Amino acid sequence: MQNTVLVVGAGPAGLAAAAGVAGSGAKVVLVEKAAQLGGTPILSGYAKLVPSGEWARDAMGRMVKRVEDDKNVTIYKETKVTKFTGEAGKFTATLSNGTSVDCGSVVLATGFTHFDSINKPEWGFGSYEDVVTTTQVEQMVAAGKIACPSDGRVPERVAILLCVGSRDRQIGREWCSKICCTVSTNLAMEIKELSPTTDVFIYYMDIRTFGLYEDRFYWKSQEEFKTKFVKARIAEVTRSPDGRLLVKGEDTLVKRPIVIPMDLVVHAIGMDPNEDNPEIARVFGIGLEKHGFIDRAEHYTNTCGTTRRGIYAVGAALGPETIDDSISQGTAAAMRAVADMNALVQKTA
Amino acid sequence: MAIHEKSLIDADRIQTNENLVLDGVDVSGHWNTMVLPRYLKDYDTDFARKIRTFAGGENVHRCWQCGSCTNSCTVYAQNTDFNPRYWIYLTNLGLKDEILKDKDIIWTCVSCNKCTNICPKDVKPEGVMKALAHWLEEEGHTPESKSSIFDEEFLSQVYATGRIEDTRVLVNFLRKTNQSLTPPWLIEVGKRMMKYLPVSFLMHMGLHLVFKPRTKSWGRTGDVLRAYVREQKEIARKQRAMPKEAVHV
Repeated sequence: MQNTVLVVGAGPAGLAAAAGVAGSGAKVVLVEKAAQLGGTPILSGYAKLVPSGEWARDAMGRMVKRVEDDKNVTIYKETKVTKFTGEAGKFTATLSNGTSVDCGSVVLATGFTHFDSINKPEWGFGSYEDVVTTTQVEQMVAAGKIACPSDGRVPERVAILLCVGSRDRQIGREWCSKICCTVSTNLAMEIKELSPTTDVFIYYMDIRTFGLYEDRFYWKSQEEFKTKFVKARIAEVTRSPDGRLLVKGEDTLVKRPIVIPMDLVVHAIGMDPNEDNPEIARVFGIGLEKHGFIDRAEHYTNTCGTTRRGIYAVGAALGPETIDDSISQGTAAAMRAVADMNALVQKTA
Repeated sequence: MAIHEKSLIDADRIQTNENLVLDGVDVSGHWNTMVLPRYLKDYDTDFARKIRTFAGGENVHRCWQCGSCTNSCTVYAQNTDFNPRYWIYLTNLGLKDEILKDKDIIWTCVSCNKCTNICPKDVKPEGVMKALAHWLEEEGHTPESKSSIFDEEFLSQVYATGRIEDTRVLVNFLRKTNQSLTPPWLIEVGKRMMKYLPVSFLMHMGLHLVFKPRTKSWGRTGDVLRAYVREQKEIARKQRAMPKEAVHV
């Protein structure tokens, strides 16, 4: 009987799962396709994380170190799983580097892919340099300077457009990406901290800063940092003759069309299913739900379960998820994965 | 050229030049009628800060447009053009021209404070109505309101004597606002009062009208008060004139 758990993906969820399994005394094989551990917060260069406010490199750095220092964890970077056979308790995975791994259970922490704004051409991304994504603004904040990419000037006005790549049947994204509202209200505050005279406008359909994010992010951004919230789904972003951007849409509370000059337009991009999900589903023999995220088993007694026994999935692999909840799920799945192996040991005894 | 459904267009968006010649062609009158676009072109990003410097407007930026204020409003029940939720939104985005369209009804707030009681974000909409009315007055968009004239009269008596004399406040107020000194409602009040023949009250009133008594040991209190009020108003005025706001202001 196996005493090894295969963890796929070394982002917040995967690192938590690996640490959980290793902490309980079992062995972990951690497989990461990128050259670096830490997942999207590191690979996309996030600034301060929500809600802790801690720098991504510090928080993720701690998670990475904990796993790297653990003798029970074997790490393979720049590696994928190419073949997977067996059943719960005795799986065999073949890695792209040729290694064969025998494992009792699997935790898939394969994450998500950022929505590519090119797919909403009417909002100017790819046409105008000063139309950027929340990821790019994260990188600006991490570098300590907010500037318009076209000429490096500090923007007088920033428009953040919510629900870019979310809640949009036109492009087959029928889900809410859950964290963009909170991230955007937080970015508005960070922009104001770097440039106090900049005005930040958030164009929204609804504000979904759920739970405790309500007052810590939405209210704070509005009340202390004077972020303006405009109820309008922008129809089009164009350029005015003076080089500034124009956001066009209908302000539904004034019931009037608007054409407002802006210096920087930010797309609050949503979370797509990982672009590798079809491959992951094929290799591991698991199902995907209708949006393309990994399909869940019945949740109440098979928490974190997928459609195949012995394989668990956590974090944004299952749908849009926060970093904190991804970490909690990683820890929960570690518990399930280890318990699975123990149960099989007891059965055969 | 006739414009169909002209009533649906704001009058100030229809432009016609009486005399106009373009490229040698006479297009005077209705031939050059233009309807200006109705879209909103820009925000006055400093306007909300300005309104926050007026008493009552301090929390206007907190609004998230739930509409509780308008829904609970006494005046809205009578006149659906009276919409505090809408004006607060316009204030926060600095859509000044839109607010000016309603300058003649904003003052009709009766200060019942139902909005302020119900507001989940503590915006104090009743205060915002006051702040807006005062802004309209200060910028000259509306004439000095009767209530401002009343306040001035009331305060000038307080400064001078530490108290007010009802008759004198009323008479001076009516005089300053060019109203009849014997409006029907006042005559009615007088008539009903006479039924009870309040002899000592009337004597009191008469005496006070003549002698203008001061509150005991009022001394220089009035001068100090007057100076303080003037100082506070000056500070608020300076704040309004300040350059663009920075964070945490």
